[in-house]
Amino acid sequence: MNPRSWAMPVRYAAMAIVALLFVGPFLILITTAFKPAGQAVFSFPPALVPWPPAIDHLVEAWHAIPFGRYLLNSLIYVAATIPLYITISALTAYPLARYVFRGRQLCFYLILSILFLSPEVMLIPRFLVVSELGLTDTFLGVILPSGLSASGVFLLRQAFAAIPAELPDSARVDGANEFRIFWNVMLPQVRPTLAVLGIFGFVSVWNNFVWPMVVLKDSDKYPIALGLAYLDSTLGADARTVAAGAVIALAPVVIFFLVMQRHFIEGMQGSMKG
Amino acid sequence: MTTIASAAPKATSTGPPGGGDTPRKGAGRGNAVGQARWIPYAFLIPGLAFLGVFFLWPAWTAIQLAFYRYDVVTPPVYVGLDNFSTAFSSSDFWQALTNSVLFLVMYLPLVVFLPLLLAVLVNSKIRAVSSFRLLYYLPVVTPMVAIAIAWSYVFHPRGGLNWALLELGVIDEPIQFLLDPTWSLPAVVAVEAWHGLGYFMVIYLAGLQAIPQDLYSAASLDGAGWWRQLTSITMPLIRPYLAVCLVLGGVFSMQAFASIYVLTGGGPQGASSTLGFYIWTEAFQRFNFGYASAVGLILWALLLTFAAVSHRLSRGEAE
Repeated sequence: MNPRSWAMPVRYAAMAIVALLFVGPFLILITTAFKPAGQAVFSFPPALVPWPPAIDHLVEAWHAIPFGRYLLNSLIYVAATIPLYITISALTAYPLARYVFRGRQLCFYLILSILFLSPEVMLIPRFLVVSELGLTDTFLGVILPSGLSASGVFLLRQAFAAIPAELPDSARVDGANEFRIFWNVMLPQVRPTLAVLGIFGFVSVWNNFVWPMVVLKDSDKYPIALGLAYLDSTLGADARTVAAGAVIALAPVVIFFLVMQRHFIEGMQGSMKG
Repeated sequence: MTTIASAAPKATSTGPPGGGDTPRKGAGRGNAVGQARWIPYAFLIPGLAFLGVFFLWPAWTAIQLAFYRYDVVTPPVYVGLDNFSTAFSSSDFWQALTNSVLFLVMYLPLVVFLPLLLAVLVNSKIRAVSSFRLLYYLPVVTPMVAIAIAWSYVFHPRGGLNWALLELGVIDEPIQFLLDPTWSLPAVVAVEAWHGLGYFMVIYLAGLQAIPQDLYSAASLDGAGWWRQLTSITMPLIRPYLAVCLVLGGVFSMQAFASIYVLTGGGPQGASSTLGFYIWTEAFQRFNFGYASAVGLILWALLLTFAAVSHRLSRGEAE
C-alpha cells in the first residue's frame, strides 16, 4: 500500500485532536458564560452545550465592574504605548545601524544589558523610581517603562542595516538633512518591522498584568486584565459571570489576532532569522 | 518576546559599505560628507534617557536597597547583609526557591520537546494547515488572567479533568488540584506550558523551514522512513533552535505571575509560590522592600547563572 494514502488522514486526525486541546479551555469559558441559571456549571459528565443559551451573565458581568471603562483604559494604554515604544526603538536603532561614532559599541552593550535586567527583578526598584518621579497611580506610570525594549531595538537595527546605502546617499546629494533622511527615506523602508513591533506590542500591552497592578491604586485606571482579575476575586463563586467577563476581556485581542493572523506567525518567524 | 532570539550581536551586520569621504578609513556606512558629529548622539538621547531612568537607575536602586530595611513609610535603615541571612534562614524563601527549580524542571521539557512535535506536525503544505497553526498559537496572544480562569474550571473538583480521570479509572475520588499542595504547582506549570506551546512551535517552524527540502528527498530515495528522517536530519539541524527554546523557556519560567495569582494565589501554604511571586508578596503585601530586593538579587544571580550555563551548553553542543 502506498504510504501516502493513510498519512494524510492520520495527520489531519492528529492535528484536530491537538487543536481540541488548545481550543478546549476557550470553549469551556464560552459555554460556561452562556449557561442558564437552571443548568449546572459543573457536572459529571460535563454539560458541553449551554441550553437554553442565556446572555444574562454577559450583561451582569458588564455591569458588575466598569468593563467599558477598563476596555477604554486598555485602548488608551495601547494607543499611547505603541507609538512611544516604536519611536524610541527606531531612534535608538537607527544610529546603531547606520552611523560610525565614538561610543557606539558601548551604547550597543548598554541596550544589550536590558536583556539581563529581567522584569521580575526590576519590579520593586522600578516601582520605587516611578514613585520618586511622582508617577504612581497615573497612566504615565504604566506607559513610560514600556518605552524601550531590547527586542525592538535589535529588530529595527537589523532592518535599518539592510537598507542599501544608495538610498540615504542620494537624499543627501539632494540636500536633505539627516533627520529628514531618517524620517522620510529610512523609516518608510522598515515599515514591515514597525508593523511587527506594533502587533506584538498590542498583545503585550493588552495582556500586561503585574506592572499595572503594582503601579495603580485607583481601580478607575485599571486595564482590562486587572479588571478581570478584580471581577474574579470579588465574584469568584459565580462562575458564569466570571466566565462571561473573561469572554469580554479576551474577545478584542482574539479578534485582533484573527484579523492580523498572517503578520503574527510570519512576524515571529522573521524575527527568528536574526 | 523575541528578546534572546534577536539578541545575538552580529559583528558584521552594520550596513553596507560606502558613503563618501568620511574621516576614518573603512568607516563609511551612512556617514555623509561634512556630517555633524553630534547627529548620532542626538538620535540616541531619548533611548538613553529611558535606559537610564527605567533600567540603570532601578538596577542601581535594587542593589543598594538589598542592604537596607525599608517599608516605604519610614526612612531606609542600613542592615548590611541581614536581608540575605534572613532569606537563607527563612523556610518560605527555601520553599519558593525549591518551587522555582521544580517549576523549571517540569516546564522546560514541556516547552522544549512538545512544541517540536507540534512543529513537525504542522510543517507541511497540506490544506488548512495554517488554520491549525493559528489555533495552536491562539493561547499565546490571550490574556493569562482569562486563560487561568478557564483552567480553574478544568481543574475544578467537579470539572472536566476530574471527570475524565474518574471515567478512565485513574483516580477513585476527585482531586482538588488547586487546593492540594502536591498538585497546585504542577497545575500552574501545565497552564503556563499550554500558554507558551504555540510560541515555541513557531520558533521550531522557522527552524524546520530553514532545512533544505532536498535532504529529505535524498533520504527517502535511500529508503529512510519518517522516524529515521526525524532523528538523522531534523534533530541535528534543529539544535540551534532547541538552544533558543531552552534559554527562553528558562526566562519564561521565572516570569510566571498572573497564572499563580489567579489559580492558587501561591497556595496552599506557599506550595505554588515561586521566587518571583514571593518577591511580589514580600514587597507589595508585606512591604518588606529591602528584603524583597535582596531576594530579587538572589533570583537575578540564579537567572544569570542559568543563562550562562545554557549558553555554554548550546555552544558545546554545536561543536
